[in-house]
Amino acid sequence: MGLRGHKTATVSFGQTVRFLVALIGPTHVAFPAHWVRGIITPAEAGGDGPVMWANSSYDRTDLAARFAITAPGQTAETRIILYGNEQKSRSFSTEQALGLVDVDRSQIHPLPTQFRGGERERLLGFFIDEAYVALIANPFWVLELPTRKNPLDAFVLQVSDRQVGVPESGLPVESFVRENAMQVSGGRMR
Amino acid sequence: MLRAQLRKQSPTGSTGATEARIQNMVVFSVAGQRFAARTDEIGGVTPWPGATTVPSDTPFIDSLVRHEKGCLPVFDLAAKFHRAMRDGERLCLIVKHVDGPLAICIDAHVPSLHMVARSLIQYRDGNDPDIAGTCIAGEEELPIINLTTLGVSSNRFAR
Repeated sequence: MGLRGHKTATVSFGQTVRFLVALIGPTHVAFPAHWVRGIITPAEAGGDGPVMWANSSYDRTDLAARFAITAPGQTAETRIILYGNEQKSRSFSTEQALGLVDVDRSQIHPLPTQFRGGERERLLGFFIDEAYVALIANPFWVLELPTRKNPLDAFVLQVSDRQVGVPESGLPVESFVRENAMQVSGGRMR
Repeated sequence: MLRAQLRKQSPTGSTGATEARIQNMVVFSVAGQRFAARTDEIGGVTPWPGATTVPSDTPFIDSLVRHEKGCLPVFDLAAKFHRAMRDGERLCLIVKHVDGPLAICIDAHVPSLHMVARSLIQYRDGNDPDIAGTCIAGEEELPIINLTTLGVSSNRFAR
């Protein structure tokens, strides 16, 4: 399925945040991975209406439209991300789920001051990879929850605490875990 | 990378009085339209590294470019003047903006440095706060762009 690997962006003994990097249109968007509940194909998601997966329901949201990104139609690489916390859950389509990346907190940059509009609510900043610049989606905005101050604080992992694929709420993450179990930690995304 | 083009109008003397009578200006082009800007508002010129689009509501600030170890926001000067950049080689003009360094995508034609007599510069208030006035560089009358405050006022109006 869609996940291509797991990568540590920098060697760090400090705080990191794990992201799922996906393509929305041509844009690399990073989602704090702690709230990723699954990555499924459109066929697995079924037709219209909420996505039912592992006894949970995920209302659909058109994230590309909410970002105002022009996205192509469905392709063989299209994946539906199941995203949620204890309060709310959503499913949304991405052009491709590229993989997991652990990013040192010091490598996360805020949006430059010149960005003054609604993007400051939608995006928490960005980080730089050799191959791309990933924009960090505000997970509270994704779930249509009231945002909070320093939203990434809820997603910080101490390096010594890291446990791949263990979600905060214990919701099923079968496909997510299955994909990662096949990857070598620290490997490059393909 | 700036190419000095000293014109007849530009005295080469360096006395204080002479310096007071001239203004160093850089002339560059964006999608074929030529602009002037004060030299001290420019941080450098580099090859265009390619941009990452940011879904943004801020007028004309809609992407990031890599610069040194970070990224700079990009002001789309071509879009502001309703022009479209042509495909092909481009340069990145780094601007000393009041909110921090800013990048502008400009044509591949290397910007040129002009020493312009102050008598040939006309500052005036217009409808567009990003335009300071006009100057005559070489034999052309060019709009002077306020690079350091680019977009600040239009953002204010947009909100």
